[in-house]
Amino acid sequence: MSRRIRLAVVPARRIFIGRLLALGFVFVVLAVVLAMLGLKLGMVARLVVTSTFGTKFGLEDLALYMTPLLMTGAAVWLGLRAGLWNIGAEGQFLAGATAATAIGLFLPASALVSLPLAALAGLLAGALWSAVPAAGRAWLGVSEIITTLLLNFIASFMVYYLVTGPWADRVTGAQVSSERLHVALPVIHGVVHWGGVLGLVIVVAMGLSLGRSRFGYELALSGSNPTAAHYAGVSVAPRIFVALLFSGALAGLGGMMEVLGTVHRLQGGLAHGYGYLGIVVALLARKSAFALIPAAFLMAVILNTGIVLQTLQVSASSVLAITGLLVFAIAVSDELAAYVKLETQK
Amino acid sequence: MSLKSPAILTRRTLLRSAPLAALPSVARAASRFAPIAEQDLLVAFGHTSPVNDGGWTQMHDKAIRALKQHFPKMRSLYVESIPYSADATRLFRQFVAEGAQMVISTSTYGDFIKDVADQAPEVGFLECDGTNVSGNLGWYYITHWYASYVIGVAAARLSRNGRLGYVASFPTPSVIASANATLLGARSVNPQATMRVISINSWFDPQAAASAGAALIDSGCDFLCGIMDDPGYLRVAQERGVWAAMWNTDMRQFAPDAYVSSVVLDFENYYRETIAARLAGQWRPKGTFLTLGNGVDRDRWGARVPVAIQREADAVRDKMLAGWSPFTGPIKDSNGTIRVPAGQTMNDWDIYHWNWQVEGVSGLV
Repeated sequence: MSRRIRLAVVPARRIFIGRLLALGFVFVVLAVVLAMLGLKLGMVARLVVTSTFGTKFGLEDLALYMTPLLMTGAAVWLGLRAGLWNIGAEGQFLAGATAATAIGLFLPASALVSLPLAALAGLLAGALWSAVPAAGRAWLGVSEIITTLLLNFIASFMVYYLVTGPWADRVTGAQVSSERLHVALPVIHGVVHWGGVLGLVIVVAMGLSLGRSRFGYELALSGSNPTAAHYAGVSVAPRIFVALLFSGALAGLGGMMEVLGTVHRLQGGLAHGYGYLGIVVALLARKSAFALIPAAFLMAVILNTGIVLQTLQVSASSVLAITGLLVFAIAVSDELAAYVKLETQK
Repeated sequence: MSLKSPAILTRRTLLRSAPLAALPSVARAASRFAPIAEQDLLVAFGHTSPVNDGGWTQMHDKAIRALKQHFPKMRSLYVESIPYSADATRLFRQFVAEGAQMVISTSTYGDFIKDVADQAPEVGFLECDGTNVSGNLGWYYITHWYASYVIGVAAARLSRNGRLGYVASFPTPSVIASANATLLGARSVNPQATMRVISINSWFDPQAAASAGAALIDSGCDFLCGIMDDPGYLRVAQERGVWAAMWNTDMRQFAPDAYVSSVVLDFENYYRETIAARLAGQWRPKGTFLTLGNGVDRDRWGARVPVAIQREADAVRDKMLAGWSPFTGPIKDSNGTIRVPAGQTMNDWDIYHWNWQVEGVSGLV
């Protein structure tokens, strides 16, 4: 006789196999849909692979997509580590970008001075944008899911106001944009800037430090069981506050990299949903900060695939559908992976 | 009519942070855009809205479809609904990666297309409603302000109280030129005419356009015009018994009684000449204005527009076709300051960059 039980801690191997199956499932569904649209699958696959990995432009775009995804992914991941859902990475990203733009537009200094200042401004603005939800959650028990989410809309409207009003470009007449910034992140190769490298360093440093420090341990403890943490002598509220503050700062830094590295102007469409996609990246990464890197890479490949699909007249919304399907499939596979068959003796 | 470079060069010097690449010599440009066989040519089009939007993009798409009859072996691809964001850059890069020799954006993308053009010097780029000209990037646009002026003349004759309503998208120079030209046309026959503008922050939003139209009628306007891809406010005009003029294409089927005319677009000749030039190795990046009668015009008049008014407005159109420009000073802005002194005429480049509303227009900038 046998029955199924649910494991409290699931071995990584089981999760990994489950996710491969989930990814395979997404591919099959995608293939069926594309075939139904009358596209030749071989041609689509070849085009996706060659233009993403086979051209200089494709590889550069992959790196440019990965950079903001790494940062917002890290932001959401850090919140989850403390048991918090930071849905506001999008708004914090925009706040950071706005602050960095202010430095780029109005500070007449050399890049040596203004770049670190812009980074600092991005970090602070992101942290500031998450400060109110953080305080509300830590000391008043207000759901951070609602407050961080709603602040996204405020940030978006703030950016639209700035780029159509006081900061609107009057030099080249670019629509819904600020003037081109006078300072930019240095370039590694082609259009790929150092922001991506900085993002990788931050993620690795975060993984190393949180895994080994007392703060990291207390954060995880507060997240997984606040009551237990309290009785173990950890004051939970300040940990929660600081975790959300850092989470916002990471997203804000991502916004600074995007505006100074990739877009070079503050503009309405800047955030591009990276804050929300960061949730997907963090979910894919689960408990490991290092796993944020392949997760952001996978998401970047999906976004790039969306670009290729659009040239084949597949709607841009297909990317959202693929992403949603992937999250759905992975949520199911992670859950199923927790169940094992237990053989019992008669 | 093509624009000479001096005006552009003065603009370029304003672009402080943009890299000021030296203009390539004619010889270099010639080798770069060498003749190409029709079956080897791939032209990529980037649209701002869906190809069946019933307005701007549909008119471009119609011209592109017509291209296929002239160049049956030419390959083309398009992407619709390209956002005005860094994703536009990615899509244009993808066009280059897929091997396009010509990339044509049918709406303005500013830096998002220029950055790609700068990195792909062997590919020819064209931006509709753009202003940049470089070694491989040019622009084209329609001088729609002349057609708007003609419609404005009819508007003043049709309106009982001289109060025109304008449904705008954003206060960009194209929209400002359209609204200003319509009112200047109206004021040429009724100096008391005024125009009230409502911006709805979209080019395609039938619901918002209809609300804006209704609000304008409620405030006393009895002639609606605007710059929309949909017939939203035209239907309101029909229901409320006022006149309306449209943009892009003939929309009389939606409101046979209210329809006056439309600023109609036709890019077919321009696209055909551009592709022919590229095939022959003759294409060079420059700015091109499609003139009245050659890409832009007023539509056939609505069924209920009296013939006398049609004749009066068309007489103005004939004068323009003969070279006369109505954009001659004195022209005052809405604060009463003279911006174009008597005797001076705004050329198309000035009108293309119009950033102030003329006297009588309110609510635009």
